[in-house]
Amino acid sequence: MHTTVAGTPMPADTVGASAQRIVANVESVIDGKHNAVTHALTVLLAEGHLLIEDVPGVGKTVLAKALARSVDCSVSRIQFTPDLLPSDVTGVSVFDQSTRQFAFKPGPVFANIVIGDEINRASPKTQSALLECMEEHQVTVDGTTYPLPEPFTVVATQNPIEMEGTYALPEAQRDRFMARISMGYPDSASELEMLGTRETSSPLDAIGAVVSDAELRAMIVAVRNVFVSMPVKEYAVAIVRATRDDRELRLGASPRATLQLVRAAKARAAMQGREFALPDDVDALAAPVLGHRLVPTSRALGQHHNDGDLLIAEIVDRIVRATPVPLGAAAGR
Amino acid sequence: MRAETPPLTLPQSAALVSTAFLLVAVALTSLGPLLAGSAWWWLCAVVAAVVFASGLGLRLLRVPASLVPVLELVVLVLVLTLFFGAGTAIAGVLPTGATFAHFGELAAAGQTSIVQQSTPAIAVPGILFVLALATGLVAVVVDIVVVSLRVVALAAVPALLPVAVPGFIVEGGTDFWTVLLTGAAYLLLLRVDVAVRRRGELDREPEGETAPRITQPRRASAGSTVGATLGLAGVGLLTAAVLAQATPSISNPYLFGTGDRGPLFSRGVNPFIDLGEDLRRPEPLPAFHYSGTGRERPYFTLLTLDRFEGDVWSASEEPLVEEQTVDVFPAPPGLDLGVARSLVRTTVVVDEVATTWLPVPYPARSIQGLRGSWFWEADSFAVASADDDTLGQRYVVTHLDLDPTPEQLRTASRALPDELEPYLELPGGVPEIITTTTEEVTASAGSPYDAAVLIQRHLRGSDFSYSTEAPVEEGYEGGGFDVIAEFLEVGEGYCVHFASAMAVMAREAGIPARISLGYTAGSRGVGTLAGEARYDVDTHDLHAWPELYFEGIGWMPFEPTPGRGSVPEYSRVSVLADPGATRAPLPTPGAPATEGAPVLPEEPVDGSTAAPVTDSGAPLARLALVALAVALALALPAVIRRLVRAWRRRRAWDGADAAAAAWAEVEATAVDIGDPPTPFESARGFADRLLARDGVADDADARAALERLLAGVERHRYGPRPAPAPDHPLTHDLDLVVHALERGLQPAERFRALVVPTSLASPRESLAQRRPSTAGA
Repeated sequence: MHTTVAGTPMPADTVGASAQRIVANVESVIDGKHNAVTHALTVLLAEGHLLIEDVPGVGKTVLAKALARSVDCSVSRIQFTPDLLPSDVTGVSVFDQSTRQFAFKPGPVFANIVIGDEINRASPKTQSALLECMEEHQVTVDGTTYPLPEPFTVVATQNPIEMEGTYALPEAQRDRFMARISMGYPDSASELEMLGTRETSSPLDAIGAVVSDAELRAMIVAVRNVFVSMPVKEYAVAIVRATRDDRELRLGASPRATLQLVRAAKARAAMQGREFALPDDVDALAAPVLGHRLVPTSRALGQHHNDGDLLIAEIVDRIVRATPVPLGAAAGR
Repeated sequence: MRAETPPLTLPQSAALVSTAFLLVAVALTSLGPLLAGSAWWWLCAVVAAVVFASGLGLRLLRVPASLVPVLELVVLVLVLTLFFGAGTAIAGVLPTGATFAHFGELAAAGQTSIVQQSTPAIAVPGILFVLALATGLVAVVVDIVVVSLRVVALAAVPALLPVAVPGFIVEGGTDFWTVLLTGAAYLLLLRVDVAVRRRGELDREPEGETAPRITQPRRASAGSTVGATLGLAGVGLLTAAVLAQATPSISNPYLFGTGDRGPLFSRGVNPFIDLGEDLRRPEPLPAFHYSGTGRERPYFTLLTLDRFEGDVWSASEEPLVEEQTVDVFPAPPGLDLGVARSLVRTTVVVDEVATTWLPVPYPARSIQGLRGSWFWEADSFAVASADDDTLGQRYVVTHLDLDPTPEQLRTASRALPDELEPYLELPGGVPEIITTTTEEVTASAGSPYDAAVLIQRHLRGSDFSYSTEAPVEEGYEGGGFDVIAEFLEVGEGYCVHFASAMAVMAREAGIPARISLGYTAGSRGVGTLAGEARYDVDTHDLHAWPELYFEGIGWMPFEPTPGRGSVPEYSRVSVLADPGATRAPLPTPGAPATEGAPVLPEEPVDGSTAAPVTDSGAPLARLALVALAVALALALPAVIRRLVRAWRRRRAWDGADAAAAAWAEVEATAVDIGDPPTPFESARGFADRLLARDGVADDADARAALERLLAGVERHRYGPRPAPAPDHPLTHDLDLVVHALERGLQPAERFRALVVPTSLASPRESLAQRRPSTAGA
């Protein structure tokens, strides 16, 4: 498996403060998208990968870039196109005339945060290359394995599958992403404000890192150390299992989903300055973590005018609201 | 349909409840023929009213519908305690274990009394208790059916129960007008319900253009519903009325018995048979012992047989009369002031005899110290109980020891009052031997008295001998014409035969006669009782003797049975030889005084006569007590709730589960104010709701306190173990939150939360045990 981020964990309340700084920094670029920003940071701290799915022009890339810039770590960006080759992502071995040896030239995937723009426009072959990196945290070229830097997070954006010239990510590959979020259109006030701030220059240029590389690592370690009590674990399992038995779902969430749900919950707990996770954390992250893994039945889809996202959101919401919240082992009067 | 029924407004509930009460109250009147007096009705009406009123009040306080009947039953118990449990209850209304034991005794006594009494029965405490309890239960059921379930038509079933009862007991069944009135009350209830329903329908009618289109057919539908309901109900009531009239009276001695008077003389049609069996018992059983102040030891009468129908002597069946309690007896019939008399007090302790007839000397003046309700019967002064028996009784009976002179007896007027006519009746077909023997024996008699003495002398003569076995062997057991004829022929028999022979012969000779059953004076026992010599009476002392009536003196016992008892001085044959030799007929100086009021025994008497509860006055005071009881009952949950809160506050002070205790109190308060946490929301979700409530939303301190409590309970529930104890007492935060929550309530809501703390009925522990489960769609 991949190497892990090592280091001294940060105290919970400091994690919370740092997280707030990052969120505030990103929000200075993207107005009115608090949830999306928070979820994105949650995924980063939980060492997962984020899929941002929405129509073009709502700020997917800006979010990814702003997040990357807010933390002082290496960032690279890959614009996926139909003719992009796997080696364009992972890197290639080239013959060095001076040393008369093949030298590995790392691709853009060698960065702490990799922004994969419009991932569904690439050929499945290239998509697979990236997804292997995401899963393995390493790159193998010409028989040599090169580890990716830690932390390693892919923030991929994707246009809805109805758009032309796209290759939809198969279910198995969507499962690799910890969470999927949608940006949604900004409200009119945010849009007005955007006109004012971005008419002349890109605000991305104005923001810098608010958290150092070391701090980010310490935050990640702190997230890993967040305590998850048995009742909360059981609660997460109950919710995930409920998706597998739901009548309106053809495919429920995988065990990997359970794992990532709990991880994300830990990150959310740390971001709120807690050293233990709550059922509320699970509740809040159920939709982004589970949503993209669920496949509704065609009958349910038909009943919802083929609006799959809305249907999935409703189903997850229903399941969460119908799952009893555990009171904890020591609950008493 | 029911789910669509709109919730009732207060006037609607009040209308339904008061009509339901009217129905029950009117239906109760149909028990009138069965019970003497009307006090029982008022008691039952008050009980029903309290139950209905409590139901109304509870619903006004929005107590969950499922709890209302339970609380109504609690109120019923409190009211019953108030009326019947006094002395055993705390503060007169809160029942204790002793109260319920007392209730059990009352119910048993009521049951016994119902079996023993004939109609109209006296409403002794036992019967009153059973009635009040039954009425209360009927009220609860009617309340559920009418208000909770809104199946008003079904109210007929419980409410018409009392109407059905008389049909099984008394000839002629329920009074027609009562049935009619009850039916009218029932129809009124249906009408009120229809009105309430229609009001509800109209209120839900959507405003706007569709309203007229819908209202019209619904109006018609409502009208036809009324018609159909009334028609159906009318047919049902008519049938019920006809049935009530037509139902043959079922003579069931186990309801309001007719003539079945308990175990001693009860089994056969002929008490003589039982008496004979008792006399033939090889080992006598102790019956009772007594001591008296009299110069002569008395006979103890149990009951008197006054009707003779040729083959059997029987007691006329008179219902017990409520006013004829044994604390005072009337003047003995026929007794004039000129007869010498003395007042004798006798203390009796009953040993092993359990019967509803009390052994009492004739003529009694008063009896003190009895347990249960006892009543004397007219003429015979036999004493019977409506709800108890003799077993273990200890009582003091005062009676007159009459000592008429033979002259008084001889000169008694032959003109008899009309009411004595039955005591002279002999059915047709008197065997010749009786007629001839009587004529022979009384041929020389110059007066009824002389005739009586001659008959007694004849039967005590050498022609007759005492034997308890011969009649059985010869087959003439009993006291009818055939038996008497056989007895006169054979000349062997026991008291039954002698007594019935003398009584029949006396009637033949024109002397009113009856037979008393009871005990002779018994034999000297060991030791003393109440400071006097003790006498023991056992089953071998059972006896039957004739009593003959002489105008101016009254009923006087005679003793025709040889070898048994003692011959009264006034009937000894010697007096015949020397008619003027006895004492002059002088009135005893103290006699007139004793004639007036009964003399109470000076010594205290164990036990007390249970007086019917309705005798006590001050109904207002009782109603006030009822109101107080209801108020206390309403306050009880609030008090318990305060105690629970105090207990949680103490636990919230410090310790490992302080946070849990504090949060539990927050949750309980939220339950009380009608905003309970659900199993599907987290503590934070619940807290968010509370933060938005009136009283909390505008109170920064309370909001901060709630946040702190929330953080505490979250750490307690989901944090790592061991959870650190809070660094400061949570009681202050708890108080802030609780007060803020209560401050945000309307006065009515606050009152409801105070009086009906529903958190007491919804334990949160059950939620703690729940496991995450698969939530399917």
